[in-house]
Amino acid sequence: MNDETKRNGPTNKGLLPGILKGLATTAKTATRTTHTHEYPDVAPDLPPRSRGVIALLEENCTSCMLCARECPDWCIYIDSHKETVPATTEGGRDRQRNVLDNFSIDFSLCMYCGICIEVCPFDALFWSPQFEYAETDIRDLLHDKERLGGWMETVPPPPALDERAAEPAEVAAANKPARMPRGRAT
Amino acid sequence: MSDVSDVTHDRSVPLPMPRVGPVGEHAPKPIRVVLNWGRRYSLWVFNFGLACCAIEFIAASMGRHDFIRLGVIPFAPGPRQADLMVVSGTVTDKMAPAIRRLYDQMPEPKYVISFGACSNSGGPYWDSYSVTKGVDQLIPVDVYVPGCPPRPEALLHGIIRLQEQIAGERLSGRAIAERLGGAGRLGPADGEGAAAPRYTAHRTGSAAEVTRARVEPPR
Repeated sequence: MNDETKRNGPTNKGLLPGILKGLATTAKTATRTTHTHEYPDVAPDLPPRSRGVIALLEENCTSCMLCARECPDWCIYIDSHKETVPATTEGGRDRQRNVLDNFSIDFSLCMYCGICIEVCPFDALFWSPQFEYAETDIRDLLHDKERLGGWMETVPPPPALDERAAEPAEVAAANKPARMPRGRAT
Repeated sequence: MSDVSDVTHDRSVPLPMPRVGPVGEHAPKPIRVVLNWGRRYSLWVFNFGLACCAIEFIAASMGRHDFIRLGVIPFAPGPRQADLMVVSGTVTDKMAPAIRRLYDQMPEPKYVISFGACSNSGGPYWDSYSVTKGVDQLIPVDVYVPGCPPRPEALLHGIIRLQEQIAGERLSGRAIAERLGGAGRLGPADGEGAAAPRYTAHRTGSAAEVTRARVEPPR
């Protein structure tokens, strides 16, 4: 066994077929378009269900703490206080309502499971596909309620219903005729 | 959380504080711009992949996302040739000494990206007995990329953030000392750090700080 067969292996095809093979591969891929995503210049086409960041619709939040209690990471911080709403009518009773003081999600800890969004009974939390919030200070990854509210504009509209699906509960309730008082049924 | 000084089972060698040299330190602004321009677009990356986030990191290095477009060059042959360390995945207390050691082997200027919830703060393992609650307890981190795991594009965004930071930085011996927490000037206030000056260079969090409730962002 001389040196050349050692280098080229036992097939002893020589140098040329290897070069031709390589050139053929190059020629094949040269005509294909690249599949590189030019990310900073071209925004990626993300599906609406993509889990980028959690947005808060503050008006819907009743500070019921369900999300904070269900969070497996305990990364949601909620502070609220009760406010007395005086009675609007004579002899009425004063009402109480919760006022949200602070709603923060620690995105350095969040595991993006979406349980808070699933569990929210008032639709105050939403997924947004936005992902560009890398920070140089870890404390900036704690998004307060203003910043979480700012993500709302990046929330995509809900996906369209399936064909021949039942109409949404809200629409069905609005379309139902009002209940007539008893005795006046037509 | 085991203390980082556990790292030094071997005899710790007191290393001198890294410097950039008098010429680099007092370079006028045009020269610094050129230096920073060179640094930000030739980041040889050292992949410290520890868990599933490493898959996303590898995806970012492959043809579809291709972070060599941004000047991040995969991959350095070893930490001694690397400029950027991407810690992606769950850092365990068992792995902590290795991370610290390989970080110490990287030449200045060096940068660290913490990729994913686990390396940011422990993530889903926040209550684990064996997971380090954030790689920033071991080494100074420049950019935190949130996500579990983050998208490859999120890493590219983190790299862009890092490059913006490099563009504005002024590298000097004092800046390095500040980032590393002032090693070499161990006073009586540093206390137990005097035993292992090499590994107390970076300020490490105490157990009380790790379990604190809520930290206000800086205003």
